[in-house]
Amino acid sequence: MSFNPLRLKRRWAVAASVVTIAALTALTGCSGSSSDASSTGDTATPVAGGTLKLAFWDDQQGCIDPNQVYWIESRSIDRQIADSLTDQDPDTGKIVPWLATSWTTNDNATQFTFTLRDGVTFSDGEKFDATAVKTALDATYALGAKSLLGVSYLAGYDSTTVIDPTHVQVNFKTPNAAFLQATSTTTLAILAPKTYQETPEARCAGAIIGSGAFTLDNYTAATSAHLTKRADYAWPSSLVKNEGAAYLDAIDVTYIKEDSVRNGELSSGQIDIAWPRLPISDADQQVLKAAGDTIETRALPGISYVLTSNITGTKPLSDPLVRQALQKAIDRPTYASTVFWADYPVVKSPVESTTPFATDESSLLAFDLDGAKKLLDQAGWAVGPDGYRYKNGQKLTLDEPLTTSGAGDQLLQDQLKQAGIDLTLDVVTTAQYTQKTAAGDYDLVGTYYTRADPSVLGSVFDQALTKAPTAVNSQDAATAATISADFAKGLQTTDDTQRAAAYADLQKTLITAGVTFPLYERLQVSAVSPKVHGFAFTSEAFLRANDIWLEQ
Amino acid sequence: MYARYVSGRVLQAVLVLWAAYTVTFIVLYLLPSDPVQLLLAAGNVDVTQVSPEQLASLKHQYGLDQPVYVQYFTQLFNFVTGNFGESISKNVPVTQLLSQRLPSTLALGASAVALAIVLGVGTASLAVFARVKWLKVALSRLPSIGVSLPPFFVGLLLIQVFAFQLRWFPATGDKGPQSLVLPSIMMAIPTAALLAQVLTRSLEDALAEPYVVTARAKGLSRSVIQWKHAFRNAALPALTLLGLLLGATLTEAVVAETVFTRNGIGELAQESVLAQDIPVVQAIVVMAAALFVVVNLVIDLIYPLLDPRIVHGQRVT
Repeated sequence: MSFNPLRLKRRWAVAASVVTIAALTALTGCSGSSSDASSTGDTATPVAGGTLKLAFWDDQQGCIDPNQVYWIESRSIDRQIADSLTDQDPDTGKIVPWLATSWTTNDNATQFTFTLRDGVTFSDGEKFDATAVKTALDATYALGAKSLLGVSYLAGYDSTTVIDPTHVQVNFKTPNAAFLQATSTTTLAILAPKTYQETPEARCAGAIIGSGAFTLDNYTAATSAHLTKRADYAWPSSLVKNEGAAYLDAIDVTYIKEDSVRNGELSSGQIDIAWPRLPISDADQQVLKAAGDTIETRALPGISYVLTSNITGTKPLSDPLVRQALQKAIDRPTYASTVFWADYPVVKSPVESTTPFATDESSLLAFDLDGAKKLLDQAGWAVGPDGYRYKNGQKLTLDEPLTTSGAGDQLLQDQLKQAGIDLTLDVVTTAQYTQKTAAGDYDLVGTYYTRADPSVLGSVFDQALTKAPTAVNSQDAATAATISADFAKGLQTTDDTQRAAAYADLQKTLITAGVTFPLYERLQVSAVSPKVHGFAFTSEAFLRANDIWLEQ
Repeated sequence: MYARYVSGRVLQAVLVLWAAYTVTFIVLYLLPSDPVQLLLAAGNVDVTQVSPEQLASLKHQYGLDQPVYVQYFTQLFNFVTGNFGESISKNVPVTQLLSQRLPSTLALGASAVALAIVLGVGTASLAVFARVKWLKVALSRLPSIGVSLPPFFVGLLLIQVFAFQLRWFPATGDKGPQSLVLPSIMMAIPTAALLAQVLTRSLEDALAEPYVVTARAKGLSRSVIQWKHAFRNAALPALTLLGLLLGATLTEAVVAETVFTRNGIGELAQESVLAQDIPVVQAIVVMAAALFVVVNLVIDLIYPLLDPRIVHGQRVT
C-alpha cells in the first residue's frame, strides 16, 4: 500500500473528532445525574410490584398528547407511554436505536431512511410498522401551531414514504440535520394509527395509545394521571437495562403546587418522587437528605437561562463596548452559589452543558469588573455622583421586563450596579410582557428552551428562521449573517465534526457579539425516596421509569 | 307585601348578574394583547413562527375575529342559554371544567361555612354568657387573633402538624371527607373570628337594652332571655356579615385550594386569570356573582322572619 497524504489527513480528522467526542462525554458526564442509581452500581436485585407515586408542581397546559404538549412535566409522563424511533444517550448525546434499529441519512440532511423493529405492538394490539410511522408524522405535521414543538422539529417537512412494512423514508424540502435528534423526542413519538382518528382536543385530554412500557389509564388535567404497566412490553430503548416489562405495576401522578407541601409529602413517605420545576432550595434539600431521600440532578439541555439584548436604535446596548462591559460585569460563579447552592454548576455557554456540541466558553464569560469599567469609560459613560454612569446627561439604564422578580434578579441588579449600570426590573403581567417584547420596548429579556440539540438556538436567535424579538433586536446585519450561516452549516450536514465546528463558532459569536448574556444553568432537581431504585433521567432530563423498582 | 318585597329583590339580583357579566367583559377586553398570542408565548413560540392562516383559524375558533359588540351579545346570549364556550388554554368546554371542579369547591365552601358558624356563634355565646371572668376575657380576645393570622400560614401549619407529623388527615388532594377537615379549618378561622366579633358586640348591646331589663324584672329565666330575646335581635348584623363572608368564599378558596392542592374553582380561577383564558374567567366571575346574589337574596328573605318591621319599613325599588 502506497503512502497517501490525504488518507493520513482523514485519519487525523477522525482522531480529532474522537478526542472531541471524548471531551464532550467527559463534560456532559460530570454534570449529569449526580447519584444515578444505575451508574453508581446499585447491586440489589430488582423486585417487581408496587405503585410509584410521583408529584409534579403543576400542569398549566393541561394536555397529555405527546405530539402536542410542550409542558415538560407532561413529557416526563409521555416518555413512559409512548416510544420513539430513536433515543438519545444522556451521557454522550448520541442518537441510539429504539423502534428504529438503524437509519441512513443523505449528505445534505433532507432524507432519512429508517429500518424498523419487528414485533412491536401498540397497547390496543395494532402492529407498529412503516404505515404507523407515516400516519404519526403526517398527523403531527398537520397539527401545525397546535404542536408548538412539532413546528420546529419538523421544519421543512415534505412527506414520509412507506418503502415496505419495516422501511420508511422521511423527506424534507430544506435540510434539517436536527431531525434525527427530533425522532428521539416525545414530540415525535409514534402513537397507534387509531389515535389520529380522534380530534386533537380529545388526544390532549388523554385519548392516546402508544407502544410504551406503560399505558395511560386516565388523565385529569392538573389533577392526576394513572399509568399501568404493559405485561407484554419487550422493546425498550437500547439505553434501558430492563429488557422486559416494567418492574412497577403502576405510576400515580399528582400535582402539588406548594414546595413545602410537596417536600413534606416526600419526607413523610406519602409520595416517592418530588419533581419541581425550579431547583429545590438548599435548606429543603438538607431536610430531605436528613429523611434519607436522595437528590437527583441533570441540567435541562437546550438554551441556558440567558438574557438577550436589544441593540436597536439609540439604546445603550447598541454600542458593542457596552455589551462587552455587561458581559464582564456579570459574576456568574457568585450568582450560582448565592441563588442556588455552593457547588451549583456555573453556566459556561449559551447552551447547557448537557446539550450535544456544547463548548466551554468560561473564559469569555469570566467576571472582570475592572475590565467592564474600563470599557464603559472608553464608551464615554462617566461615573456620576450616585455611582451610576451618565453620558450626555442620560443615565446608563437597562430595562428588563419580567413577570415575576426573584432573588436572582436583584442579585444581578446589584452586580451591575458595581459597574455603574442601572438595571431596572420592570415587573409586568404576562399580557404586558408579550406586548413589550413584541414592540422592542426593553433592553434585556430572559429566555430559555429545552431540547437536547444545539439547533434549538435557531428558533430563538436565527433571523433566517424566526422573526422573534430575541433574534431581530439582538444583532446587527453582519452578526445576523454570521449567525445564520453557522445555523445553516449546522443543519445542512450530518457530519458530527462539521456540526461541532459550526455550533462552536455559533456559541462564541453569540457571546462576543453580545447577542446573549448567559446567566445560569437550568438544573432539573428531583428528590427521590430511598425506596426507589433504578432512577434515571432521559437526555432531556425527563423521567425514565423502565428500570425503576420499589423496595417492598 | 312579602311578594312585592321578594320580586323586587329578585329583579335586583338579575341586574347585579348582568352588571357583573358586562364589567368583566369590558375589563377583559381592555387588557392588552390577545389570548392566542399568550397561548403561543406560553409554548415558547413567537407569533411569527405561525403562519397567518393558522393564526386566523385559531382566532376564529375562539370567536376572537368578530367585532367586540358581536362578541359581547353572542356571549351574553350563550350565557343566558347556559353555553359558556370553550376554554382557550385547556381546549375543553367551560361547562365541563366547571362541572369537574365545582363539586370540590362546594363541598369545601359548605363545610367551611358550617364550621365557621359553629365556631363563631359558639365563641360569641360563650364570651357573652360565660360566668367565669378569665374565660370571658380570653374568649373575647380570640377573634382578633383569628382575624390577624394569615390563612396560608395557618394552612401550612395545619399540614405540618396534622398531616406530616400526626398523619391524621391527608395534606393534599380530594380524597373524601377527611380531605375537607384541614382546608375547612383554615378557611373557617377568619370567617368565624369576624362572625364572633360582630355577634359578641351585638349580644352585649342587646343584653343592655331596656326590654332585657323588663324581661328580667318580669322574672323570665336567664336562658329564655339570652336565647329567645337577646340572641334573636343580635343575629341580624351577624347574618348580614355572614352573607358577605359567604360571597368571599371563592377568594378564600383560591388560597385553600392552592395550599392543599385541591382542584376546585378557586384554583381554576387563578390559573385562568394568569392564562388570560377569557371564557373561563368570565364564567367564574358570573358564577361567583350568582352565588353572592343568591346568598344575599336568601338572607334578605330571612330578615323579615327575624324582624317583620323590615318589609313594612323599607321601600324596595
